[in-house]
Amino acid sequence: MVKEIERAGIPVVHVCTVTPISMTVGANRIVPAVAIPHPLGNPSLSAAEEKQLRRKILTTALGALSTEVDGQTIFEVK
Amino acid sequence: MKLEVGYIQIRDISLADESRIDDGVLYINTKELEELALEDEHLEAVSFDVARPGESIRITPVKDVIEPRAKVEGPGDVFPGVVTKMSTVGSGKTHVLRGAAVVTVGKIVGFQEGIIDMTGLGAEYTPFSATNNLVVNFTPKEGLTAHEYEAAIRKAGLKIAYAVGKLGVSHKPDEIKVYEFPSIIEATKLYPDLPRVGYVLMLQSQGLLHDTYVYGVDMKQSLTTMLSPTEIMDGAILSGNCVSACDKNTTYHHQNNPVIEDLFEEHGKTLNFVALIITNENVYLADKIRSSDWTAKLVNYLDLDGVIISQEGFGNPDTDLIMNCKKIEETGTHTVIITDEYAGRDGTSQSLADADPSADALVTAGNANQVVTLPKLDRVIGTLDYTDKIAGGYAGSLADDGTITVEIQAITGSTNELGFSRLSAR
Repeated sequence: MVKEIERAGIPVVHVCTVTPISMTVGANRIVPAVAIPHPLGNPSLSAAEEKQLRRKILTTALGALSTEVDGQTIFEVK
Repeated sequence: MKLEVGYIQIRDISLADESRIDDGVLYINTKELEELALEDEHLEAVSFDVARPGESIRITPVKDVIEPRAKVEGPGDVFPGVVTKMSTVGSGKTHVLRGAAVVTVGKIVGFQEGIIDMTGLGAEYTPFSATNNLVVNFTPKEGLTAHEYEAAIRKAGLKIAYAVGKLGVSHKPDEIKVYEFPSIIEATKLYPDLPRVGYVLMLQSQGLLHDTYVYGVDMKQSLTTMLSPTEIMDGAILSGNCVSACDKNTTYHHQNNPVIEDLFEEHGKTLNFVALIITNENVYLADKIRSSDWTAKLVNYLDLDGVIISQEGFGNPDTDLIMNCKKIEETGTHTVIITDEYAGRDGTSQSLADADPSADALVTAGNANQVVTLPKLDRVIGTLDYTDKIAGGYAGSLADDGTITVEIQAITGSTNELGFSRLSAR
C-alpha cells in the first residue's frame, strides 16, 4: 500500500514496529512503532503518558512527511 | 549429559476399568484422569475419546498434542517446573509410549487452532493421523479469561500425558536409544576433524496466547540461552501456543524434534553436534534485535562452523529468522534456515515477510496457503463451530454437505518448520 500510494505521487510515512520488513518492502519514510500488538500505544503506561507517547509518534510522522529524503530513512521517535 | 530413551510401542488405546499396558494396548481408566484434570478449579468438565489411525474421525479445534513419557531414572521427571518439581532433566532413563498421543481439544482459545483428520485427504497432511490418540475434550467454567482457560487446559493436558506416561515405567521397552551430549571441549577432542554444528531453535513467544515455556519460564522473558538436546526430550520445552496450526510446534514436536534426531544420527559421522541454542520471537523490535545479537554472540563464542536455524510461526517472526541468519553469517558461520511459506493460494506471492541475501540456503516446509477440500467424516470430536474462524478457514469453509475447504494452514502440523511433516516436492 505504501508503494502504490507513493507511485501515485503522494508521499507516505510508514509507521511500523518491525522496521526491517518496512525496509525490505521499500518504504522511504519509516517511523518505528511501539510493538506489534499495540503499534501506536503502550498499555503499560498511564493514560497521560500514553497520550504523550502517541503525540510524539504522530509529530515524528508528520515531520517525516515534510522532510525531503534521498533514500530509505528511519525517523526515530525522540 | 546422557539419556537413555526406551520406546514402548503402543498399537491401540482402549477405555477400561483399570489403566495399564498389556501386549501393546494402552488401557485407560478415564475416571482417574478426569479427577486429575478437574483438580484445576477453572475446568467444569472433561471427556475422553479414542481416535485411531484410519477411523472416520475429525478432531477439532486441536490445542496441543503431547507424547506420554515418564522418567524411570532421574534426576527429575518430565515437564519439570510445570507438572513435576523443578529439576534439571535430560539424563538417566526415560520411557516413551510410542504410537500414542494425548490430544487436547475444547471450546476455542485463540482463533488459530487446528484440525486432525484420522482418514482421507486431511490425514495425509498431519502426522497425528498415524498416532493412536487419547482425545481430551475440556469444558471451561463460565467467565474465564482466554489466558486463564489456555493455562488451565495446557497444564491439565500435560498432567494427563504424564499420568499416562507413568504406566510405561515398569515395562520393558521394545527399542532403546542412547543420546549422549558431551561438553563442547570433550566433543571437539572426540571429533577434531568434523565440522562443529549447532542448532538454533526459535521459539514462539509473541504473547497473546502465542507462547512457549522452558522449565516453566515464559520464553518471552528469557534471553537467548542454551540447553542439552536431551532436556527437550524430557519435556523441558512446552507449547502454550495457539498460533496457526500448520507451523506451531506442539509439545509432541518438541519432545520429538527431528532436527535434533538427525543431528544425533549424523554426529560423529559427518558432523560434530555441539550446541543447542534456544531463542525467542518477541513483539518489540528491540527484543528482536537483542535476542538475535545474543544468538550470534553465542555462535561466535562457541566457534561453530555451521548452524541450522528453525523458525516457529510466520509473519513478523520472519524478521527474527532473517536477523538470526544475517548476524550469524556475519560471524563467518554458515547457516541453513528452515521455514515455511505464505505464498498465496496460487503460490506466486512473496513467501516470507523479510529477506536478506545472506539467507542463501533454505529448506521450506511447504506453502501454508495451499487450499484443500476435506471430505465429510462420520464423527467429530470437539466441535465444528469454529471451522470458519480458525486460521486457514473463512466464512463458508464448512459446506452444507459436510466438506471443509481450507488452507492447509488449518491442519495441525502440516507445514511444521522442524520438518516433522509429510510434504515433499517432486
